[in-house]
Amino acid sequence: MPVEALFTISEPGQARTKEICKGRAVGIDLGTTNSLVAVVQAGQPRCLAADGSALLSSVVHYAADGGIVVGAKARELAATSPQDTIASVKRFMGRGPSDAEATRRLTTYRFAPGEAVDPMVRFAVAGGTRAVTPMEVSAEILRVLKVRAEAELGGELDGVVITVPAYFDDGQRQATRDAGRLAGLEVMRLLNEPTAAALAYGLDKQVQGTFAVFDLGGGTFDISILKLEGGVFEVKSTGGDSALGGDDFDRAVAGHLLRVMGLPEDAGRNAGLARAVLNAAREAKEALTVATESSVTVAMPEGEPWQGSLSRSDLDELVHPVLDRCAPPVRRAMRDAGIETAQLSGVILVGGATRMPLVRSFVAKLFGQEPLADIDPDEVVALGAAIQADLLASGGRSDVVLMDVVPLSLGLEMMGGVSEKLIHRNTTVPCGAVQTFTTYADNQTGFDLHVVQGEREMVADCRSLARFNLGGIPPMTAGMARLKVTFTVDADGILSVSAREEYTGKEASIRVKPSYGLTDDEVERMIRDSFDHADDDMGARLLTVERVEADRILGATRAALSASPSLLVAGEGEAIEAAMASLELAKSATNHLAIRAAIQSLDEVSKEFARRRMNAALDDNMRGQSLDTVEKKVTAK
Amino acid sequence: MICWSCQKAAGEDVFCVGCGAVQPPDGTADYFQVLGVVRSFAIDPVALERRYKELTKMLHPDRFARSDARARRASLERSVQLNEAWRCLKDPIRRAEYLLSLHGVDVGDRGGAGNQDKSGEHATLPVPQVLLMEVLELREALAAAHAARDVHETEALIAKVRGRLNTVMDDVARGFASPQPVLGTIAARLVTVRYYRRFLDEARLLWEQDGAPPAGDLGHAG
Repeated sequence: MPVEALFTISEPGQARTKEICKGRAVGIDLGTTNSLVAVVQAGQPRCLAADGSALLSSVVHYAADGGIVVGAKARELAATSPQDTIASVKRFMGRGPSDAEATRRLTTYRFAPGEAVDPMVRFAVAGGTRAVTPMEVSAEILRVLKVRAEAELGGELDGVVITVPAYFDDGQRQATRDAGRLAGLEVMRLLNEPTAAALAYGLDKQVQGTFAVFDLGGGTFDISILKLEGGVFEVKSTGGDSALGGDDFDRAVAGHLLRVMGLPEDAGRNAGLARAVLNAAREAKEALTVATESSVTVAMPEGEPWQGSLSRSDLDELVHPVLDRCAPPVRRAMRDAGIETAQLSGVILVGGATRMPLVRSFVAKLFGQEPLADIDPDEVVALGAAIQADLLASGGRSDVVLMDVVPLSLGLEMMGGVSEKLIHRNTTVPCGAVQTFTTYADNQTGFDLHVVQGEREMVADCRSLARFNLGGIPPMTAGMARLKVTFTVDADGILSVSAREEYTGKEASIRVKPSYGLTDDEVERMIRDSFDHADDDMGARLLTVERVEADRILGATRAALSASPSLLVAGEGEAIEAAMASLELAKSATNHLAIRAAIQSLDEVSKEFARRRMNAALDDNMRGQSLDTVEKKVTAK
Repeated sequence: MICWSCQKAAGEDVFCVGCGAVQPPDGTADYFQVLGVVRSFAIDPVALERRYKELTKMLHPDRFARSDARARRASLERSVQLNEAWRCLKDPIRRAEYLLSLHGVDVGDRGGAGNQDKSGEHATLPVPQVLLMEVLELREALAAAHAARDVHETEALIAKVRGRLNTVMDDVARGFASPQPVLGTIAARLVTVRYYRRFLDEARLLWEQDGAPPAGDLGHAG
């Protein structure tokens, strides 16, 4: 919002602190299979339920008529219209079409053809009339949780903490943040899921020691080693597999069922059948958590349902090869943390899949001790996120701090397609690195840089994060220009880059082309798109949003007018007053688009005034402040 | 330095003496100054960690999530610097290399112990023939163990080299503790350490690959 930015920055010295109503900052676990929202009230975190359940199925159905259904109803619709119903969307977050290829075999979606170099997956939904990105799908889930929380807490949310797998790379984190923005949420922090789980355990029980968090969810596996001491939660190391989870168990069982049913291997290509078999597989798996034998019913898309049975030992046999894939990441994380299993104070279980008896015995064997499961493994992450949201919103409780690490090494592409590591895996965030470049040709004015994430040596084997063009270098003899580039990873694990030419002191301009994140324009367009598909409920919400926005801008403009009347030019004050009056009028009506338009008109007529105020403020307050004050040294492993 | 918030002298500390606003870090401070400990090789690791965590609690960006943009930026930069200092000083090998680099002696890998800009000004330290032969033999033994998928032999090699490395590091500690440390001698020891460390990194990687045993054995059993 340009208006807000200009006016806010023109109030120097005043903290931009928003008044926080206690208890309206929530934690959200945006899960592969289920999503939850939790809040801290009277010092206790609790999950917010709707229709008797805290779990919201992470499934979104796009009807051909433009309607959108989220949750258990959408899951039911999956059987009849699998292509218009997106489940496990988390697997596609921040992923390009080529990444999705691997997961495509038993999935049932239509992927919309992207523009020439579209880095994002798009699902063709609503009978093929609409293409949505994973961020938009996730935003629908977040909106439902937002409404649920606002209804329960009686007002607009002030901020949220959204959890992500520790293993998520920058692109996936950006995508999660973007989903939050699309849903109209203020994302205060992305929090690693295992850290959230430990927070739920640690704060409740004042535990000290080193813990392993074993998180096996629907679609991701995370292993983290955390040290809890004196209120400091330090992630020592993290690892995992972002494409391994309970869904894979379902797939293994489904494959088995197809064989038992005497159907050919490629029967899974039939979308309706695949979905029915997967459902039956999941039901049997869940039943076998308690029972040792379960009947299996596959609702065939055509004809009579298929009847069969599955025993727990059948299940164990099918699941074990998948489960074994958890062992190498565990071993690596233990080594990175420099500890041995005997030194662990405990193992925390997270994720619905850890309810399975086989998983529990696997974990007990792997770590040589019985895991902790006092807190519901489905809720523990959301509860921890709520605790963190509460801490952030109350601003500055200094007795608890969460220290996360970079999940994957960050590197720069060098000559010959080699990745040179700038920041190593498991470095505590925030962290940074500095790299100095010199020009290799006379009068060279720019560099192309390519940042990648991953442990492999060759860039081609790593994930592309972003391509930067460092431009605006003053023309000099080759080797004279020295460009100091600073990479900073913030507490959310998101990368930013700044550069400076040392000889002239000129700040080089950086154009960031995120490979997976969204540009502001795209976010705006998506928000507009989602408005176009909005139902009445949405229209009402929009109206509220625009009215709040109008009030904020009117207030800021009034304050600015009375603070700096001397900066107005002839006639400008009158024009601004007139635009303000129009906005007041629009605000009293019920058309949110009219309010938006009036806001934009006010923005237009007050833009120059705001710019003068900002310049004056910058002159007064920011003189002599260098952007580049940190000297960093790259420390090799 | 002038405080960005109250426009008065901020003092030398993390927070402005006048208004308490968090100040951007001093780019010229060394890692010991950042952590507020005496510049020395002999550091009490427990005290260092306590100090690091105290500072982290004060400076972490989460504490400034709702503050002015400049406070957020200062806390981010402070935390980056602090984490870097901690990462270096908590590890005795990195700490030794860093101490030498502060005296203009660079023994690190490319871009290693510290100051890349200075690396060109120093001749590469000579690597003794004996050391090269030793490491060569160790590598051959490791390759043989890997080829035979002999996890126990790999573990034995790791233990052997770790022992040698510890002996050399004891030497380094003694060198720094002497009233007049001979930096050249310490640097030569650290070159040896570097070779051992590389060997260990490689050996652990192979051990991980070969040692992917059935669940239940993390390789540390017993």
